[in-house]
Amino acid sequence: MSVIRHRNRYPYPSQRITCCSIHSDAKLKDPFSLVQNDLQSLYEDIKKELFVSKAELKSLCDYYFDGKGKAFRPMIVVLMARACNVHSNKEGVLLPAQRSIAMISEMIHTASLVHDDVIDDSDRRRGKHTINQVWGERKAILAGDFILSVASMALARIGNNAVVSVLSQVIEDLVRGEFMQLGSKENENERFKHYLEKTFKKTASLIANSCKAVSILVNSDPEVHEIAYQYGRNVGIAFQLVDDVLDFTSCAKHLGKPSAADLKLGLATGPVLFACQQFPELHSMIMRRFSTDGDVDRAWHYVLKSDGVEQTNYLAQRYCQEAIRQISRLRPSTERDALIRLTEMVLSRDK
Amino acid sequence: MAWRSRLCCVGRRNLSIFSSPSPSNWTKVVSDAEKIVGYPTSFMSLRCLLSDELSNVAMHVRKLVGTKHPLLNTARGFVYDSRNNLQMRGLVVLLMSKAAGPSSSTSDPIHDSMVSGIYPSQRNLAEITELIHTAFLVHRGIVNLKEWTNSDGPLKDMQFGNKMAVLSGDFLLANACTGLAQLNNTKVVELISSAIGDVVQGIYYDGSSSAEEGGLTVASWEDQTFLSHGALLAKSCQAAMELAKHSTEAQSLAFQYGKHLALGHKVNSDLQPFTKSGSEPAVFSLDSAPVVFHKQIVGPERWRHQLQQAQNMARQIDYTKLWGLIKMERGVSQALDLCSYHGNKALEAMKSFPPSEARSALENMACAVTKF
Repeated sequence: MSVIRHRNRYPYPSQRITCCSIHSDAKLKDPFSLVQNDLQSLYEDIKKELFVSKAELKSLCDYYFDGKGKAFRPMIVVLMARACNVHSNKEGVLLPAQRSIAMISEMIHTASLVHDDVIDDSDRRRGKHTINQVWGERKAILAGDFILSVASMALARIGNNAVVSVLSQVIEDLVRGEFMQLGSKENENERFKHYLEKTFKKTASLIANSCKAVSILVNSDPEVHEIAYQYGRNVGIAFQLVDDVLDFTSCAKHLGKPSAADLKLGLATGPVLFACQQFPELHSMIMRRFSTDGDVDRAWHYVLKSDGVEQTNYLAQRYCQEAIRQISRLRPSTERDALIRLTEMVLSRDK
Repeated sequence: MAWRSRLCCVGRRNLSIFSSPSPSNWTKVVSDAEKIVGYPTSFMSLRCLLSDELSNVAMHVRKLVGTKHPLLNTARGFVYDSRNNLQMRGLVVLLMSKAAGPSSSTSDPIHDSMVSGIYPSQRNLAEITELIHTAFLVHRGIVNLKEWTNSDGPLKDMQFGNKMAVLSGDFLLANACTGLAQLNNTKVVELISSAIGDVVQGIYYDGSSSAEEGGLTVASWEDQTFLSHGALLAKSCQAAMELAKHSTEAQSLAFQYGKHLALGHKVNSDLQPFTKSGSEPAVFSLDSAPVVFHKQIVGPERWRHQLQQAQNMARQIDYTKLWGLIKMERGVSQALDLCSYHGNKALEAMKSFPPSEARSALENMACAVTKF
């Protein structure tokens, strides 16, 4: 799967991108500013959706919608919506239902974070205490359930059965992905496959299916749905691969959570799996989920000594190239090009 | 003819239920009703129970044996406890579907798909209702780790139990979500999703107000109990009508039946410790209906005094003593009135449905919740 070969296959040759960058850098807007207007009141609107009369439950539900999140998912969703709209000759307007999908994607994401923090017994997220740390596990779980129910109601109100079914799949994938993290595979090949499948379910499915949902809302062509889905799937997997790398390379403060967190949870992510090919000593540690004293430190050093980080980054690049190949099948638009540039941001982010 | 003779039979059974004060009324009415919908007790999706995920949990839950994690009891309930196994909510949804009959719209292509008078989508809904109910049984049992002391056992067991409880509850809810999506009716998805939100609101403050002297008023108790115990059944009954495209009137009656049956059932079980004659009173919840009525009658001042009176040396509540104090006032009789009120309201809601064995079964259930 070579990059160059794929580039040649773009239906809209890359000179358009080059041409933009030569003539007017001003036209090359950064993805964040492009969606600024659409997402301005996103968190306020989510908090309005999360209406509940009981004050304490309300403050738990609002806790992570404090405007300090990256809103990475809503951004991709809105860009994809607008790119699909241009592709379908309906430029200019973001459909209200498409904006709802952006909100719903952030809500589903947040609900799953709240539950993950209980499962992993984490005490910090995004630079603050986790909900379970402040209010206890029982209430945290209920708050997550509540956010999910509100997301599901908002989804139903869009009134489109296909969209409901696409996003319900996400909820199932999230849980199945979490279950997949419970086990370790003995066989190395299976282990990698298992890791990528888990990564798809836990991270990429939400992005892929949200992208698909906004495309369904404007275009009836299954091929367009598939482009949107494949872009989201590939960017989503790349995003998580980079996240797994950052767990080894970023310092604790930067990431808002402790580093080597995955190892401490017993999880073998991309960098460890690659490192294991160079240092078979890692195999037994992976199998016992780094549970013996000193395992985490030893594994950490093996990973940094190996080229596990580079290999994982390289794999992320390949997923991004595939995402670019997919999205380039849409008609050109500012938003489409922003989605292409967004893949660079995914690869170069350091937090 | 066969239909008529069966109805007769139900009628006779009906009589025997009314004359017998046995506490197993409810169990009997329910198991009789199960025969009408053509399925044995368990509709809980076999797909779900046989999935890799839940067998994984079952394997892990074994490790919890000997610990005090509540998940163990919830899991045990599925296997041994017939009261939990009755799956009352799913059964009511099926009976309601059957009582309302086929879709009223004349050009109905899905008419033929009915099995013993119930559409497949309504059967799926009944299953979803049970999945949601069970998910919350599991999520209710999450333990707050900070409240756990070492004398209660190792913290690690509790962490592990929580992990399993979160995952299995989430798994059941996720299956409910995909099941809902497959019904292809966004109104039903919205209705049942809102019921999930109601249940969360209802159980969020469960037990947190009991210790305070003021506690709940009767009005707020009813609101809260509707959310925690009534909303899911009420909205599922309504959704069953929507799936067969019945009128908004039928939907609203089905909602009323579900709501009042659930509330009547809850008051009935709250009353159990106070109506059993002779025997020692069991421990009862200070948030149960008779106690809430009692608190309202005596006022916060006297209630605090009575709580102190009922405390023993170790500052623990002597329930026998408190039970005696409560029995002296009218709280129990007011709760009994409330129970009959809900039973009658449920009966009333069924009046507009055409007579059938399914309707009789629903009426029997409404009657049974008012018997002790």
